[in-house]
Formats: sequence, structure tokens, C-alpha cells
Amino acid sequence: MKILVALKRVADPDNANKVKIPADGSTIDTAGLEFKPNPFDEYALETALRLTEDGTKPKVRDGEVIVVTFGPADTESTLRAALATGADRAIRVDANDDQLDGLLVAKGLKTLVAEEKPDIVLMGKQAVDGDTNQVGQALAELLDWPMATFAATIEEQEDGLVVGREVDGGVLELSIKYPAVVTVDLRIVSPSSVYSTKTDRSFKYNEGVRFSPLPAIMQARRKPLDTKSLADLVDDTGLKINYLRFEAPPARLAGVKVADAAELVDKLKNEAKVL
Amino acid sequence: MITWSEEQRQIRSMFRKFVESEIAPRREEFEFGDTPPYDVLRKMITTFGIGEMAKAQFFARLERERSGNDSTREGSGKGGDTMAAMRLLPIIELSRYSPGMITALGVSMGLTANAIIRHGTIAQQEKYVPELLTLEKIGAWAITEPDSGSDAFGSMKATAKPDGEGGYILNGNKTFITNGPYADTIVFICKLDEGNPPEQRKVLSFVVDGETPGLTRSKPLRKMGLHASPTGELFLEDVRVGKDRLLGETEDIPARSSAKQTFTAERTAVAAMAFGIIERCLELCTAYAKDRVQFGRPIGEFQLVQLKLAKMEVARMNVQNLVFRQIEMTEMGVTMDIAEASACKLYSAQAAMEVALEAVQLFGGNGYMAEFQVEQLCRDAKVLQIYGGTDEIQVSQIARTLLAR
Ligand SMILES: Cc1cc2nc3c(=O)[nH]c(=O)nc-3n(C[C@H](O)[C@H](O)[C@H](O)COP(=O)(O)OP(=O)(O)OC[C@H]3O[C@@H](n4cnc5c(N)ncnc54)[C@H](O)[C@@H]3O)c2cc1C
Repeated sequence: MKILVALKRVADPDNANKVKIPADGSTIDTAGLEFKPNPFDEYALETALRLTEDGTKPKVRDGEVIVVTFGPADTESTLRAALATGADRAIRVDANDDQLDGLLVAKGLKTLVAEEKPDIVLMGKQAVDGDTNQVGQALAELLDWPMATFAATIEEQEDGLVVGREVDGGVLELSIKYPAVVTVDLRIVSPSSVYSTKTDRSFKYNEGVRFSPLPAIMQARRKPLDTKSLADLVDDTGLKINYLRFEAPPARLAGVKVADAAELVDKLKNEAKVL
Repeated sequence: MITWSEEQRQIRSMFRKFVESEIAPRREEFEFGDTPPYDVLRKMITTFGIGEMAKAQFFARLERERSGNDSTREGSGKGGDTMAAMRLLPIIELSRYSPGMITALGVSMGLTANAIIRHGTIAQQEKYVPELLTLEKIGAWAITEPDSGSDAFGSMKATAKPDGEGGYILNGNKTFITNGPYADTIVFICKLDEGNPPEQRKVLSFVVDGETPGLTRSKPLRKMGLHASPTGELFLEDVRVGKDRLLGETEDIPARSSAKQTFTAERTAVAAMAFGIIERCLELCTAYAKDRVQFGRPIGEFQLVQLKLAKMEVARMNVQNLVFRQIEMTEMGVTMDIAEASACKLYSAQAAMEVALEAVQLFGGNGYMAEFQVEQLCRDAKVLQIYGGTDEIQVSQIARTLLAR
């Protein structure tokens, strides 16, 4: 099985308070921020690894996992880290964040899919910076492939996957045929949420994404990492989404003490207008 | 080396993630309870493949020794060692939360295993070392005695007497022994008593199992800090051992110089520990200085607080440079002489202590409370000035070398 995993690097969500927006609201100032892989994409990579192995022998990859990111040269460290966790090779499509929008990334991925012919394209349900939640859906549409979004469980079958999607009031199970696009949610990295046909059902993974052993980090240096330009993949690199203005969320106001229940009801009714 | 490489950063962040998810949430339990650190350390060793890597290196070296072209018994031998940073990074990362954990780990995998590697026969190395490297067995290295600390050899009372059948009878008390209460494999350092006066006796090292008739040990001793590292006493009363337990299986091993090499190794680890402590204190202090408001502004706006932060940063940079130097020297295959190792230890230990004390001060009352971590790091930092040779001993070591030039 061949899996293409799309990975994005995002400003560390734990440092969200360091994000600065200039007075004219024209942009988001990312200077001085630390970057991390988008957590949902890390879960997608973990899912891809679980689908291409026997859980008891994580060093042996049965199939191929390719990671791809769209970003400037310094995003290669994100790809190296993914290679160290177990991916076989990596592709970086050279572009700055401000040259990209969701549709453009989906179009770039479409060309890569045509070249690589993966059985599954996996990615996070959304990136925690822009939270736009559209690349997976757009890609499935462009490819005209079946898609399962917000996957919480995945089980490999002979010719496809059974995907459990978390929806209001329960889990919706979808059976989809290869090739397919799957976007993953948080619970996909629970101990028994992903099973390849190679892994015994009694096997339990560690909660969360795996750590890379030191020898794997050293070997990652020698795994292939290709670079492509955005123009190689997409004819029209114009942005279809224009960002007009950015503003920081309003600062939280200090709380007040109410004297009695009547005042509380009054405030809820007339100030908060929730009653 | 002037900065961390991309790969080293990646390794650091991996270890940090492990420490922050597996150790930090359980800090109370390790620091204020009596939970031994070994399970979580073993998990770390396995997760990162450290034990397997160390074992592979060990067997490769053993192979060279067998074929007779072993050059040095430590590290990867001639031509430098590219693993230097890999060994120091976990020390740094663990020290940010638990200098005790890294002490327990370092004494077992490092000091004890290396003492056996340095002077053990091939059979002894094969028997004891692999399980120490994977932490399946816990090791302890015992030289200090109630009446013999800085003057480790001069006042040593522990003895080995030939039993007349090729073996030995061991006696003596050891104290302040890291991992002592739990160790499976103990390197016991003592003097060969052939009826001659103590100052003329040879120093020998024996490997003693944790469960040996005649060996009793104390519970972990209560101490100022380093709570995650169990420290205890060992009492040996007529412990009978065969010659196969004598390191090197000969009485003519330079055990004194071996112990001194162990001291040097211990000293080089201290800079990395100090670096972790300093970096963590500075991080916590910078955040607190921005956050804590007094007199209507963040305390970071007061110059006296700024001075503390600036001095911490200077210490961080200096100690980091010492760590870089150690990495680079090891990679080049150059061994640090004992005077330089002493200088590094002296400076780093004092810097860590100063930074941690100032961190407590910067946090005010919160700094004195256990909840705010700087309190623990401050108690832990003190040990760096004591074990592995006190500051005073480092000073005399450095001065002696200078004056002999
Ligand atoms: C947490 C912890 C873990 C330890 N783990 C181990 C272990 O695993 N194995 C082991 O063998 N030991 C271990 N030790 C012991 C440690 O190495 C000794 O405590 C240390 O070497 C100092 O010896 P001492 O305690 O006897 O102090 P002393 O030697 O009695 O020193 C008392 C004071 O006198 C000063 N002093 C002594 N001689 C001189 C001199 N010539 N000139 C100037 N000042 C001098 C010292 O610097 C010190 O200030 C550990 C200690 C601690 C605290």
C-alpha cells in the first residue's frame, strides 16, 4: 500500500499569544514564532504508519509512506522529523505561506497524486493556524475520489477502508474503496483506533504519536527528500482566496460580581442577550 | 561547534516531548514520593533505542578487543565519536525537570558500566555490561565511605582479604551510594589487605550482586534534593566472592587511575546537567517576569529583576559553550585532561547554583513554594557542587596542575 501524507508546519499553537498583528491589519507577523508540525497532520502520519505495518514490528514498513509539505526551505526540518518517525521519503513544494491558499494546495496535491499514484491520501482534518478545513475535501473533489473526513477509526480491508467518523450523536461508519482521501481527527491516535490487516486486533498502540528512536533520526538524513516548485505542479498559481484584514480576538474583559440572582438574570438578558 | 545542528535540535525536541509527557506530569510523585525512577527511565531507553545503540557499540568494541586491536575502551575508540551530542542531549533534557533521574541513569548506564568496561575481562564485560546498558539491571559504583569522601583512597577502610582458595572476603561500609538501595550490580572499591599497612595497599574493584549473602543495604536516605535518585548505604560483612568477581581478574590493575577516570567522566556530565537546570530556570523566570505584576507593572520592568535575567543568560551562554566544547572534543577524539574537566565542573556547578538561587528570589514567595519548580531545581543544583568531587577539590586539582607547569 502506498500512502501520501500531506503535512503542514504551523506556528506553535502553545504560543498563540505571541502572534502579532500590525495596526493596519494587513498581515500576521510570524517573526519570532516557533514552528511545529500541525498536530492533526502528525496524527495523519501516525495513521499512515499504523496502516503500513504490523504494530509489533514498527521498524518494518510494508508499503510506502511519502510525506509532502508546501513551504519554504526551513520546512525541511519538519519533513526530516517525519522521515525519522518512519516515512520513506519526502517531497517539499517550494512556496511561502503567503503564496498559498487551500485550493492551490489541493491542486498541487492533485498533480502529485497523478505522479505518485497512492492508494490513500491522508491528512489532518484542518491546520490549526488558519483552521480553514478545506484541502482534503477540495482534493477529493478535484480527483473525483471517495473521501472520509474527521476519521476517528480506520480499519484496513482487502480493497478499501472502513472509516469511523465522529458525528453528532455517534460514530458513522463508511466503507470506502481505494483510492481515497481521508482526513483525520484527534481520536485516530488512540490505542486501538487504526488497524492494518497485518496487525493483530489484540495489539494496543501507545496513546498519541510515536517517538523516533535515535538511530532512525540519524538514518533520516539519508532518506530521499525531493524539492519541486509550485509552478511545476499548478498552471495558475494565482490565489483565489484574498485575505482582506486580520484582527486579534478581543481581549477578555475582567469579570464582575453580581449581588443576587435577579441581577444575574438581568445581565444575561440585557447585556449578554442569551436569555 | 557554535550552535546545535538541525539533527541535534530534533533529538532535543524528541526528548523534551518525552520528558514533558512522561516525567513532568509525575514530578510530584518522583520528587516528593518514593517512586523509584527506573521504570520511566527504562521506558525512555527503549523508546529511543538508546540501550540497543549502546549495546551495539559495546559489542563492536568488544569484537575489536577480542581481535586484539582495541585502542581505547571508552566511546567508539580512535578517530573520534560522533555520538557525543546524543549522550549529552538526554542529560540536558532530563535535568530541566529532574536532575535526580539523570543521576540515577548516569550512574547505572555510565559510571558503573564504564568501570567494568575499562578494567573487566572480556568475560566480565559480556556478563555484566549489556544489561546495564539497557537498564534491565541497575548499577551502582561505590567508593565513598562514612570516613572517606574527598580523600577517597587515603582513608578508605573497605578491604578484600584473600580467602586462601583463590577468592576473597569483602568487608566495609559505603555511603551516599546512588542506586545503592536498588542496585543489581555493584562495583565495590576496596583495598587488598595482605597484612601490610593501609597506605601501601593496592586498590581493587569487585562486582557484587545486589542479593549477596553478607550484603545489607539501607533504605533511600532522606536528602535536601535530588529526590528522584535513590541514595543509600551498603554494608558488607564477610561477603565471599570468587576471583571472577575481581575486575580484570588480577590484583595488578591500576584501579586508582580507573577511579580517577570515572571522576573525569562524572565531571564532564555536570556541565550538561548545569546547562539543563540553567536553561529551565531562565525560561521559567522570563515568563514569570513578564507575567507577575507589582506596583502596576510587570516585574520584568524593574532593573534589579532585569539584572537577574541578564546574568542568567550570561551563565546559560557560557555553560552552553562548555557543552559545545565537550561535544567537539569528543567528536575529534581528544580527551579532556582532568584539570580542564575540573574547571568545567567547578564553573558549571557554581553557575547552576547561582542561577537557581536567583530564580527562587525572582519568584518571591512563589519561588519558595514547591509548586513552582525553581524550588526543586535550586535544591537539586546544590549537589553539583558536592558529588563527583566537591568544588574545593576541583579548585585544588586546577591549582595543582597550574603550579606544576
Ligand atoms: C546525592 C549524592 C550522590 C552520591 N553518589 C555517590 C555514588 O554513587 N558513589 C560514591 O562513591 N559516592 C557518591 N557520593 C559521594 C560524594 O562523591 C562525596 O559526598 C563527595 O566526594 C564529598 O565527600 P564527603 O561527603 O565525604 O565530604 P568531605 O570529603 O568530608 O568534605 C567536607 C568538606 O571539606 C572540604 N574538603 C575536603 N578535603 C579538602 C581539601 N583537601 N581541601 C579543601 N577542602 C577540602 C570539602 O570540599 C567539603 O566542603 C554521592 C554524594 C551525594 C551527595
